This record gives sequence, structure tokens and C-alpha cells, in this order.
Amino acid sequence: MNKPGWIGQIEVGNPFNEASLYKWGMVIDQDLCTGCQACVTACAMENNTSFVGEADAGYGRTMHWLHIERFWDGVYPNVKLTSYQPLLCQHCERAPCEPVCPVFASVHSLSQKTNLQVYNRCVGTRYCANNCPYQVREFNWRDYAPPEPLPNMFHPDVTVRRRGVMEKCTFCLQRLLQAEDKASAEGRVLADGEVITACAQACPTGAIVFGRLDDPESQVSHLRTDGRAAVLLEELGTLPSITYLKGGSSYGRNR
Amino acid sequence: MLSNLSPRNLLGKIKALPARLRSIHWFDTLLALLRRPLVLTLIGIFILLVLSAGSYGIWLTQQPPKQPIQFNHSLHLSFGVQCLYCHPGAWKARSAGLPTETKCWGCHQQIPIKDANQQKLADAVYKDEPIKWVPVFILPDFVYFNHRPHIAAGVNCETCHGELSREITAQPRKGINMGWCLHCHRTRAAGDEALLTRLQDCGTCHR
Amino acid sequence: MTRQISRRQFLKAAGIGAAAAAVLTGCGPESRYIVREPYTRMPEYTYNGLSTYYASTCRECPAGCGIVVRTEQGRALKVEGNPNNPINYGKTCARGQVALQGLYNPDRIRKPVRQVGRGSQQYSDITWDEAIKVVQAALQENQPGQVAFMLGMVPDHLFDLVSELCVALSAPPPIRFGAHEIFDARRTLSKAMEQLFSARAFPYFDLANADVTFSFGANLFETYLSPVAFSRGFAQMRRGITGRRGYLVQFESRLSQTAAVADEWLPVTPGTEALVALVMGRLVAEIRGSAVPNAYIGVSVENAASASGVAATDLQRLANIFASASSPLAIPGGSALGSSNGLEAAQAVLALDVLAGNLGKPGGLFLSPTTPVLPELPQLPNTLAEVNDLVQRMQAGEVKTLFIHGINPVFELPAALGFAPALAKVPQVISFASFPDETSLQADYILPDHTGLESWGYQKAIGGADRVVISGFQPVVAPFYSTRATADILLAAVQAIGGDLATALPYQDEVEYVQNSLLSLVTLDGFFNAPEIKTFMARFQQFGGWWSTQPQLDTPAGVSALDQPLSASAASFDGSGEFYLFPFMSPIFGDGSGANKPWLQETPDPTTTVMWNSWVEINLEKAKLLGLEDDDVVKIISPYGEIEASVYRYPAIRPDMIAIPFGQGHTAYGRYAQGRGVNPANLFSLKINGADDLAFVATKVSLEKTGRKRVLSRLESKLGVYGE
Repeated sequence: MNKPGWIGQIEVGNPFNEASLYKWGMVIDQDLCTGCQACVTACAMENNTSFVGEADAGYGRTMHWLHIERFWDGVYPNVKLTSYQPLLCQHCERAPCEPVCPVFASVHSLSQKTNLQVYNRCVGTRYCANNCPYQVREFNWRDYAPPEPLPNMFHPDVTVRRRGVMEKCTFCLQRLLQAEDKASAEGRVLADGEVITACAQACPTGAIVFGRLDDPESQVSHLRTDGRAAVLLEELGTLPSITYLKGGSSYGRNR
Repeated sequence: MLSNLSPRNLLGKIKALPARLRSIHWFDTLLALLRRPLVLTLIGIFILLVLSAGSYGIWLTQQPPKQPIQFNHSLHLSFGVQCLYCHPGAWKARSAGLPTETKCWGCHQQIPIKDANQQKLADAVYKDEPIKWVPVFILPDFVYFNHRPHIAAGVNCETCHGELSREITAQPRKGINMGWCLHCHRTRAAGDEALLTRLQDCGTCHR
Repeated sequence: MTRQISRRQFLKAAGIGAAAAAVLTGCGPESRYIVREPYTRMPEYTYNGLSTYYASTCRECPAGCGIVVRTEQGRALKVEGNPNNPINYGKTCARGQVALQGLYNPDRIRKPVRQVGRGSQQYSDITWDEAIKVVQAALQENQPGQVAFMLGMVPDHLFDLVSELCVALSAPPPIRFGAHEIFDARRTLSKAMEQLFSARAFPYFDLANADVTFSFGANLFETYLSPVAFSRGFAQMRRGITGRRGYLVQFESRLSQTAAVADEWLPVTPGTEALVALVMGRLVAEIRGSAVPNAYIGVSVENAASASGVAATDLQRLANIFASASSPLAIPGGSALGSSNGLEAAQAVLALDVLAGNLGKPGGLFLSPTTPVLPELPQLPNTLAEVNDLVQRMQAGEVKTLFIHGINPVFELPAALGFAPALAKVPQVISFASFPDETSLQADYILPDHTGLESWGYQKAIGGADRVVISGFQPVVAPFYSTRATADILLAAVQAIGGDLATALPYQDEVEYVQNSLLSLVTLDGFFNAPEIKTFMARFQQFGGWWSTQPQLDTPAGVSALDQPLSASAASFDGSGEFYLFPFMSPIFGDGSGANKPWLQETPDPTTTVMWNSWVEINLEKAKLLGLEDDDVVKIISPYGEIEASVYRYPAIRPDMIAIPFGQGHTAYGRYAQGRGVNPANLFSLKINGADDLAFVATKVSLEKTGRKRVLSRLESKLGVYGE
């Protein structure tokens, strides 16, 4: 099978079923990200995410499925923030969170090629979050039910989680399934850009690009071969589906 | 008597308690008690009570909920009304939906009111109040069912919802569980690898 | 022994049985006794299980991005951008995304009330008929000069209607203001344009096609003018439409989110942006070998370097970059305009555009198109001086009835202006607020308006797009509280008064007014065309507005812009404290209207990642010198007030400056906003710049330790932040 150019990695055969259609992936251009948090809020609004309040937030228990990483670099006046980096579940092909779940709640979807979180199976061992090298999994430590009438804005297609379950980015699985359903109803294949995640849709600079990695003509496939492309924590061999384009220079731009 | 409660005596009694407890032959006492017919009868009555309360409870769970209007499915089906006429959402969308009052009123405003149910409908329409239907076919939590591909695959409404032409009020169905869904998913999709993968994927039904 | 079974034992057994029954009934349909109430009359275009999408406009800031809201069964579920609207082309910012938490906020005012005693929060219900009578009486019984209207920043149909109403009443025109005007200083920009180009128009900066952009204090990607449009332009600039990756340089005393994304950040001394821009002009002219224009006579590099703190070598290097760029662009904004010499700064930076020769060229400076809808009405908000006039009139008792809509002046205006005490002098205050904010709590009547997502109307785009855009509002859900559109209330009162007033404003309701105002668009060529107004309105709602299909940017006449010497007087500051106070508008809360939305409170600030609170930024080394650590509570004292905040040791701010975000510090406004953080507006001095806008970087403050600690909730790890 052919894989569009992985950036210098461990060559492995795809252990999963080839017959399934789409493989979803994402490219995030850190040169374009302005850190505006539109993706963070869009994800929260799309996925019925709860807010935890000041105390729990300070304790590191926020429910941000997607957060923006940045670090201070240097000493005044030659100080800056490193390029803003939206960090979300990387949907690794060899996800460290999958083999450790005792109840198979964290599994790899064979039909979407993403990493699933099955809430009804989760018993809350939190082993998966422990194992995730990107620390992007969030646990519902409490019931965070918002007061009426806020629950009116909850989507009917996304589960509202109770305490005791893990949650994380699902690549907007509800949107993927809906779009695939629509396409199969119309008897066609999904076009590139027809379905995008909430974060990609909201991003004002278009730094987040979402699409099919199995389609060599899609925008994500093209961007992955950019000279600035890199994968997070490559040496761990998790084979993430998200590629980052380094910010701050013009080196390797295809244009 | 009060002298019995003097500290020295009390202390002595407390100290002697373990030995006294150990000296009682509990098992023998229990067996002796059980031999009494009265005790046996009481225990028997207690078990019977629990069982009957329990089976009453289980029987209760199997009753269909009480609807505000006892809608007669078989009657309407016998007039030739199609499922998709009242529940059009099944054809194109994920949820079949319940008909709005205007849908009912479309016919019933021309039908003379002969019984209490029709009167209830008329009252609700004139007061512009919705009818508080209690859904009978409820899937468990975390299951996201999409009607459209099932209708498109040619699955009859009766396959899952039962022969409503033979039931007056819709009954809750027994045995609708994941194994039942998966059985159909597996058998109908056999041969088509991609479809089989999709239909057996956790994410397809549980998001 | 024989025993009767006691009554107690029997009840126990029955109880267990019943408990078992209760537990076991939890297993069947009887327990899931939910009830579904379908529509009585379903709208024709709705289909069970499918969502309905409505195009409307975001009302979270004055930019007016178009949105499409997904609704299902009458509930609004998600806000997305309108892909056709030329302001944002389908993108949204964080505040727009969380707009739904305003619509479904638990602290909304649900019906018209009369407050028995201002600030008491004791309300007595009134009917809408009574409310309209109150408004009618206020309009009828007062002398024209005794009625005042105070509106918010959004240039919408309500502003147009109130303007016409005031003309008909011979009352003074409505005051339109908000915190956005304090920090955006649109009037300063506009006045600078007028002085340089004799053009009464708002500038348009074509960021997308520039290859080098020098931003003087402009918070392009945060809250300035139209942040989504700027972000889109920035993306194209970085992608290198010109063939070269765009280069952004930010001259700002503090590293803002915009500066963090820029390629270079220069921490200039506050108030010296004008000088730096002028010296840039001089250097660029010298590099080109052409004669130095009159504008730059009297500008010396040494002077600029020592005043601003930017090394002369850096100035020279940057001038080289600017001079060798193929489409350079200079943008003034933020703290540059917010200094006491803000008008000079705007002129100096815009003059740089003239020198660069980018007027009317791709990647350059343009004149925004004027709107065809009621163009005779003012497009821009009022200045602080004009607001001060109103406050003086209120204080003197000349205003008998004050109507307030879309602005929270008690919170947004500097405390030193004295709005709150002046408000107490107004006998009748009628608020149209949807939330119990600081100002509406001081009102006698609260007649709640629909929230933005439940409203009809239109909004004109001023400066955010390269063509005429009239963005439309329509309700995405039916209003579910007993609220009423303010325009409807005013028109009902007008009709009740009758006579000349009703003839001057012959509209039955808001929709009729909107339709009438948009009549001029029917004959114009645009995104859609229609033969008459009714079809036009249908399409207007379908697409979420009307806009032209072609850019309509005019070129400013810059022939003589550089003929007069430009001045760069030093900025002046109030107060004798050690630190410059640098307030900045939080990109998450904006003018404070976002503070009651819990998800915005939980969204980390882009530079500090602090959530649910405000903070004071102090330079890392300076904090060490003062013995301050993170989360120490310090008191910040200005000549006009004092506040307390927790310290965030910020590596990228000048040591002689402290920064505090604006938007938190509410004392009302609901459970999520109240009692969180501090409001730096309590510290502001009342210096104004040459265009009568507030100079918000004109206060010097001192710090006092309190010895207390109050921990800030941060998303970033507290360990090893500074390499410790």
C-alpha cells in the first residue's frame, strides 16, 4: 500500500484493514496560528464540553480537548513566545492509549482510522491519559452540569459526558459520520474539504487544515510534504495523523 | 441492683463479655431455631413476599407507558396510512420524529368527533398545546441510531418496530439489544468488506 | 417460643418488597418516562432530524462578522461563520463562537421590570403596555433637550432609528460609545485621514497583499477594528501571495498576542510611536536617495533612538527592510493611538504609507467604501469628549430621561469621568439591557431587548471589508423570554404619541423600518438582486445580508500629505508613580461583554493562559528586584483610583511598565462575571488625544505589596515557566 511521505520514519506496514474508505488527518501551520483560541471555543461548543470553574481549572482539570501551547523563550528584550501550537489528540496510528485500556474503551476505528473514545465502556481507570505522551486526554472528575437554560445549546449528536469517563478530541466524529451518510445517500465519495472539523472551520487564518490522508490530491496530503513539516514526539513512534508545519521561517516553503 | 452497676462490677462484666460470647454455641442455636416450624413459616412468607414484589416490579417494567391519547396504530394502518406519512424523518434523516398536531388535524378536522381520544386531540389543537407523547421505542443511552441508511437498505419498519398493524397501542419490544443489532449488521453486510468494517466499528453507533 | 409477627416486621418486609419493585422498575420503559412534545405547527422548511440553518450577524463586537447558526427543533446549537460574507468569509473568533452562552445565559433578564430603588435588585413586574406608556411619557412630557440616548458601538438599524427619532424630536443626537472606541480610537484614525488626505473616510488596510507590515501598536488579531478580517489577511500575507513570506514588525511596549505572532517585536517607550514612525519615514527617504519630505524635517535618529529605546542600528535595519519591500504597509492602532499624542502618531504612521507609495495599490492603504444605507448619518462612534459633555449635562440635571442600550457605561467608562454619580442625578433611567449589568442595575426601568441571536435588523460594515457590506440579523430562535426589540418599543411609543412625530417616523415596527432603510439597495447591483423590496428582504435573510460583488476601495489623495512638517510632541502622563499603566483589551472578553459567558472565562488568555481572573503583568527582572512572586496580590494606585490584582511575572514587557487586561472586574452582570478580577478603568486618567479620544496609556501608577497571595488559574504549567 502507499503512504504519502512520512517524514523520515519507521516504515511499518499498515496493520489495519485496507478496505475501509477514508483516513482522516490534519495539518496545522504554526506560521499562521495567531493563538486566538477560536478553535478551542469552537471545539467546546461543538462537542458539548463542560466548563469546570476556577478551582479545577487551576488544578489542571480543564476540559479543553484542544489547547494552545506556547512557551517563553529568551530574556527581555530579546524575548518572545514560541509559535502558537494547537495541541489536540493526534489520533496516532500506534496510539499508546489503546493497548492499555482494560475495557477496550479507547480503540482504533477501522472505518475512520481515528482513535475512538467509547464512553459507555469507559470505567475511568485513567490509564489511557497516563500513557498519552501528548497529554491531551481529559477526565471528567465531577459532574459539570451547567445551570438551565445552558443545556439547550447541547448538540443532540454528541454524548454529554458524566463524571467518571475520559474524553478527548474525536476529529468531530459526528460530522464525519453525517457527511459520509450524506455522501452515501447521494451515491458518491466525499470531496476534499466537504467535511471539516469544528476547529478547522472556525480558524480565521486557516492554520488548521483537515482532510483525507488517503487521497493524494487532498490539501492535507499536499501540505504534509511541505519542507517545514514535522510530527510531534516523532521518536516515540506513535505515527500521529497530525502534521505540524514549523513557524517562523520561510525555509522549505513549497510556494 | 444499683450495686451491679458499680464500676468494678461493670468492668468485670465487660471483661467477661468475650468469654461469654465464645461460650455460646451459635451454630447450634441457629439450627435449633430453624427447627421451629413458626420460624420456618415466617422465613417462607418473607421469601414469598420479596419474590412477589419483585415479579410485580418486573411485570410493571414490561407494561407500555400510558399515553395522553391512546393512539390506535392498527386502525390507522388499516386505512392505508403509510409509516412515512406521519414519520417522514425516517426517510432522509436520523430521527423519524413524531407527527405534529397539524398532521393529525389534517384529517381529523373533517372527521366527526366520536370518542374521547379524538376530543382530546381537538382540545389540544384549539388550545395550541402540544400532545405529550411518551416514546415507546427508546434505545439505551450512548446509542446513536440513524434511520436513513436503514430505510435506504430496504429494512422494513416492522423489522424493528414490530407488526403495528396487529397492535392497538405500540408496545415496547423485547430483546432489542446490541447483539440483535449486530446480528443483522453482520448478516446483511456479509461479503462487502468496507461495509462490514463500518457496521462493526464502535464509532459508527456509539459516539 | 411462639411469636406473633409484629407489625413492624411486616412493614419492613413489605418495604423491602416495594424497594425491590422500585429498583426493578428502573429496568424497563416505565422508568424512562420522558415525554416528547412535537411541534404543534412545524415551520414548513423544517424536517424532523435535520437541522435548519439561519444566517445572521454576530453581535459580540462591532466588527459585524456574518454567521450561520445551526438550529434544531427551535434550539440554537452552533455558530459558524457565513462563508459568503466578505468581512469574515466563513471564519469566526472565540467570542463569536460562545455567543450561544449569551442567548442561553441563566442570568438573563426575562421580562420588563421596574426596579424599586436603584441598585436594590428588587423588581416589580410591569406589562409591556405599561412599559411602552413609560417610554411614551418620557418622549412626550420632556423638553427635547432633556431626553438623551446612549447607544453601543454597533452601527445598526437601532442607531439609525434613534438618530431619526432625535431629529424628529429636536433632541440632541444619540451618543454612541463603548470600550471598543477607547481602545480602537476610530475617531482618531478618521481625523488623521482627514488631516492628511482631506477625505472623510475610514481607512482600509490591505494586509493580505502586503509583504512587509509595520504595525504601530495595532492589536490586529485580537480586538482591533475587524480581527477576523485582519487574521485572514495575515494568513494570506504569510502564505506569500506576493511571492515572499510576509514579515510583520510590531512596535508595542508590551508583547501582545499580535506581537507574539509578529516576526519582530520592539518594546518602544509609550508615546514614542509617533517619533519612531517619523524617523522611519526619514530613514526610508534617505535610503531611497530622494529628498526628505517636509513632513520629516526636524526628526533626528539619535533623538528617536534615545526617546523610544529602540537602538539606532535597529531603526536603520528596519528602515532598510521597509524600503526594500515591494508592498510595504504601516498600520497605526492600539497604544499608539491611545497616547496623548495619538493623533500625531496616526498621522505619522499614515504618512509612512504615503511615503511608501502604497496608496491605492495592492497591499496598501485605501479608503473604505461609504455605505449606501442612510449615509448622511454618522458612521463612527462619538469621542470621549462628547461623552463627557453628556455626563456634564447629566450632572447638571439637564437630562431628565436617559435611555441606555448596548453599552455598560458604569463599567466601560473611566471611573474618573464620573458617569455613575452623574447617573444618580438623572431622574429617570430606562435601560434596554438583556443582562443585569452594572448600568442596568442603576436603572429605574429595565425593558430587556432580545439578544443578538433573537433580533431582526442590519449592521453596516465600517472598515472591515473591501466592499460595501450590510450584514443582516434575523432571529435564529423564537425569543423565549418576554423580551421585546427596542426598536419596536420606540416605534410603538411614537405611534401612540401620534401627530408630527408619527408622521416623521411612519413605521409600525422594526421590520418595517429595516425594510424602509434598505430600499436604496434594491436598485444596486450586488451579491443578489431582486425586483422589489419584499423579494429583496427574503434573500437578505437567506444570505444574511447584502454586499457588492466587487471591491470598491478608493485611493486617498496623498499628493500633498507630506508637504507640511509633522509634529511628534512627547506624550504626557498623569500621575507620579513609577510605572506606566498599559491597559489592553482582553481578546477573550473584549469590552467586558464576554465576561458572563462561562466558556470564555475558561478560555485561556493567549499570552498568559490565565483563566477566570485578571492579573497584572510585571517585567520578570523588575519583579525580582521588587521581591514580587507570581500570585502576590499588589495594589495599583493611580491619581484616580486603586485596585488590587495578582501578579503574573511577564518576561516580555518593559521594566517601567505594568499591564492589566480590560474586561474583567464586574461587580454585577451575572454569576460568571461578578466578583472576578479587577477593572483597570478605575485607574484611567482623563487625558484626551488630539482627536478627543481617550488616551488610555497616559497614566502613571505606583505599586504596593499587600503581603497576600491569590492564586491565578493558568493553563500553562507553573513549573519551569522561566527555565527554573
